Amino acid sequence: MWPKVPDQHKPGKPLVPWGLGVTYVLFATVYLFLVYFLKVDSAANGVSASLTLAVCILFGGFMGMLDDWIDLKWRYKAFIPLIAALPLMYYAIANSETVRTSISLPFIGLIQFGDFYYFLIIPLMVMIVTNAINMLGGLNGLETLCPAIVLIGLTTLAPASAQLLMIGPLVFWLILSYFNLQGKLFVGNTGSFAIGLTVTAFAVVTDLKSSMLISILPYIFNSSFILLSVFFVRKKANVIFDGKRLISEHRRSIVTLLTYRRPLTERQVVAAIAVIVAVFTVLGVLYQFL
Amino acid sequence: MGFKQTLSKGLKGFGRVQVSHGAVITYTALLLILFIAFTIRVLPIRWEIPAGTLGLNEFDPYYQYTATNYMVQHGLLSPYWPTHWINTQQFYPAGIDMGMSLPSLPMTAAALFNIISALGVSIDVMSFCALLAPVLGTLAVFIIYFLGKDMGGKNVGLLAALVLALSPSVIQRSSLGFFDTETVGVIALLMFIFLFLRAIEPTRSLRSMMLYSLGAAGALAYFSGGWGAAYFLIGLAVLFVLTLVLIKRYSQRLLISYSITFGLGLFIATMVPFLSPSYLTTGVVLPVAGVFVILCIAEVLRAQISARTKTIVAAAFLVVLVAGVAAIAGFGDISNIAAKFGSVIDPFERASLPIIESVAEHRITAWGSIYYELGIGVLFFLLGLYFALKNPTTRNVFLVIFGMTTLYFAGSMVRLLVLLAPAFALLAAIGVMSLLKPFYTLLRESGVRATVKSKRGLKRISREYSAIVVVIVFLLLMSNYAFMPQSGGQPRLYNSVYGPITISASSLPIGGQYLQEPIPPWRDMLSYTRNNLQSTSVVCSWWDYGDWLGMLGNVTTLCDNTTSNTTQIENVAYAMMVNETQSAKMLKHYDVQYMLVFVTLQVEVTSDGSISGVSFAGYGDEGKWYWMARISGEAESRFLTDDTFGTSWMNDDYRWTDETAFGNTTSDSSGNQQFVYNDMGLNSTVYKLMSATEQQWAAQYGLTVSDQKAEAPEYFNQVYIAGLDIDAYTAAYLYGGLVPLVALYEFDWDAYNAATNSTATP
Repeated sequence: MWPKVPDQHKPGKPLVPWGLGVTYVLFATVYLFLVYFLKVDSAANGVSASLTLAVCILFGGFMGMLDDWIDLKWRYKAFIPLIAALPLMYYAIANSETVRTSISLPFIGLIQFGDFYYFLIIPLMVMIVTNAINMLGGLNGLETLCPAIVLIGLTTLAPASAQLLMIGPLVFWLILSYFNLQGKLFVGNTGSFAIGLTVTAFAVVTDLKSSMLISILPYIFNSSFILLSVFFVRKKANVIFDGKRLISEHRRSIVTLLTYRRPLTERQVVAAIAVIVAVFTVLGVLYQFL
Repeated sequence: MGFKQTLSKGLKGFGRVQVSHGAVITYTALLLILFIAFTIRVLPIRWEIPAGTLGLNEFDPYYQYTATNYMVQHGLLSPYWPTHWINTQQFYPAGIDMGMSLPSLPMTAAALFNIISALGVSIDVMSFCALLAPVLGTLAVFIIYFLGKDMGGKNVGLLAALVLALSPSVIQRSSLGFFDTETVGVIALLMFIFLFLRAIEPTRSLRSMMLYSLGAAGALAYFSGGWGAAYFLIGLAVLFVLTLVLIKRYSQRLLISYSITFGLGLFIATMVPFLSPSYLTTGVVLPVAGVFVILCIAEVLRAQISARTKTIVAAAFLVVLVAGVAAIAGFGDISNIAAKFGSVIDPFERASLPIIESVAEHRITAWGSIYYELGIGVLFFLLGLYFALKNPTTRNVFLVIFGMTTLYFAGSMVRLLVLLAPAFALLAAIGVMSLLKPFYTLLRESGVRATVKSKRGLKRISREYSAIVVVIVFLLLMSNYAFMPQSGGQPRLYNSVYGPITISASSLPIGGQYLQEPIPPWRDMLSYTRNNLQSTSVVCSWWDYGDWLGMLGNVTTLCDNTTSNTTQIENVAYAMMVNETQSAKMLKHYDVQYMLVFVTLQVEVTSDGSISGVSFAGYGDEGKWYWMARISGEAESRFLTDDTFGTSWMNDDYRWTDETAFGNTTSDSSGNQQFVYNDMGLNSTVYKLMSATEQQWAAQYGLTVSDQKAEAPEYFNQVYIAGLDIDAYTAAYLYGGLVPLVALYEFDWDAYNAATNSTATP
């Protein structure tokens, strides 16, 4: 049933089912719809949080499928997530009593955005976080495990009613992560964009954007690295697989930085990055209590 | 073949009619969509049945009804010919020139009413008009099916029909009782597009082209005579034709079709008294002639003549064009389009026009309203634009221009979301269908595998994976129409149409399944005036209620939503905002005997369920007086200088431009904003009457009034207050804590004369 692609970082390049992120999209949507129908989530100020999340995840999955199908160019891919910002902007405005328009950042303090939060910051968050998460992938487990760590951190901080929104999708994503880490499936762009939008949408709905921004700093670092290399050096990050280990001759992404003239197995690279993300997620969680 | 043979063959063939399985499914789906469209639009009937008759929604439809009723009684041309009908019961004393009304809607309704009456159907004119709106709304859905079919096949037609059937803005403006210009406007718009695009199709015969052009001309004339937004359609068509010339798609067929459509269409439109021949020299219609000249130039340039001759002829045409425009402009014959329409192009212009801006539907559309309207479906709209641009056929070029321009105008004015809806329906349908086409093909045909391009090196996708794409698109559409996050999971139509018509809701913003019965105060008041006052009794009220009072209450009014005399509206606003003594001067000027105010109160319920007090809710005149202050303030210079009665209406110590002269907005300890009235505000006539009404209701139920109290009116005697019988608990549990009160006061001229030593009488 599932299309298969070769696993480039395994000896013999075995074919692996690809695009299973769509199962996450379908599961999360059905789960969130059920949450709505069972009236577990009450529509605050006339806007439903569960349906807002569902629409964002659906849109993320849809965009991922488009990318898989017609291989969207980066200039489109960067801006298309802005459409998914609309439900979040609407949600935030309708719940302006609970969703703050300020962001508190370490060493900087509280930044009050006022209405710019709705019309500028939310779209920027959606655009940056979604694309940043999409850009850190390519190794078994990397594109599933790291977002799962960020989501676990955010879910821990969220109020109980919001935790319920995320428990189901998170458990399902962790199952996918497990198999992805084993090299038994790929989630594809569908899964990557869907989980990116899940992280952003959940952070906006639960008003945990400061923690989210700290947690995803490794992603931001990775994306900045890649983009600066492309713009200034005109070269893309590339890692070489020698049949057992990964190695790179340049430092143009977080993966190539770790493997620069230092051969590491795929599992070691993923574990190292996951630890980095986990550290930042813990910092994000701790920051919420400061 | 003779007639006999033809008939024989036809009869034989009748028994062997073969309908494909696909056709059965298509027409069944279409019928279902039409059924849904109509059913949704008549949902408010639930609250009309107890009244025994169907009423009209909002305010403007009553104006259309007046014209229709007159046509039914006196003939279709009676308001216009042989003399204009001046209705002096409205905008007294000058009245409204009904001969300047747009005829398409009332003529259509009156003609259809005459037909069904001749067939023996017994129905009153108002109920017929109320029902006609959903019928015409459903007809628009039917027409867009054919338009969509032309654009991208049956599937696009069906989906476009469904999207339009479920469009909140169109539903709202074609629901039961919304007997207004948009109902015929949307139909004419779709008919024009359908017929004109067919007329310029290169594959059609000359005869067919002529017929479609004539049809498009008829649709254009019908639109021009039915809705002011015809300016948009004319501008759109002109821009489209010009674009075709610029992208080298000119053809002789385009010239002929354009000439017939616009020549005949605009000629018929000028027969409408309101438009007249000066319509042709308005800033929007004049470019029709300009593009005609450009088409002539294009025709000359494609002829087999020398380059030199082409240059000379083209230059001559251009000189004629420029000179013609300059001459018309020089003579001052280029008339400006009405301020309301001009301000659509430049919405910021409306900030200086409070009389337009005071109407909620004329305000600039907030992005939230557009999102509420389109939802996440905006994604498919954008995809539709993408696919249309990718395949720029003549129809797709039109569609792109149609989509972009309507999006701009819908952003400029809330009301024009109704123009965006058909464009959105077509583009979203094209977006969805173009996106699904490869996956759909893959699902239908075994052995076919869609190729994809991927960094992973994937070459093909399976049928099952295609099915998932279809499911995801379906889920997106479902969350856009059935379970919308932005409306708390409710379908938008619930908020758009599932509530009583305005008068049956007594102008309260409530409805839905929990409201069992209509809310009576407004109907009670109109029944009272109809039975106890004379039709010549002049009642002064804010313009919103003028139509109801005049047509249902059978009294004479000073202003209404027609806004045909803005000076008089300013004067009524002045009479409301000034103190009683000054107000009397204006009331005498208009022979006023009664003043009516509409007040809505909010019952304050404590956490233990007891009623603690009452305050203004903001849905009546207590929320509209700001506009009274601004609109009368607009005329400040006139009121300062006009000394018709030996004294000016305003002076240096008693003047205003807006509401700030009557008080100011402050924040209480909880951060809630509230308006605190000063002496001028507390002594304004409208506030005194509102406060007296509020206090009377509160005293009746022993409740405390939270608002500032004004002194009792000196010269106004209470005649009747409708809604006094609604107790606090009924309001709290049935009407969401709202109490609508319609209060009628009679001006006591004797008391006024005694106090001012005058002898004024109305």
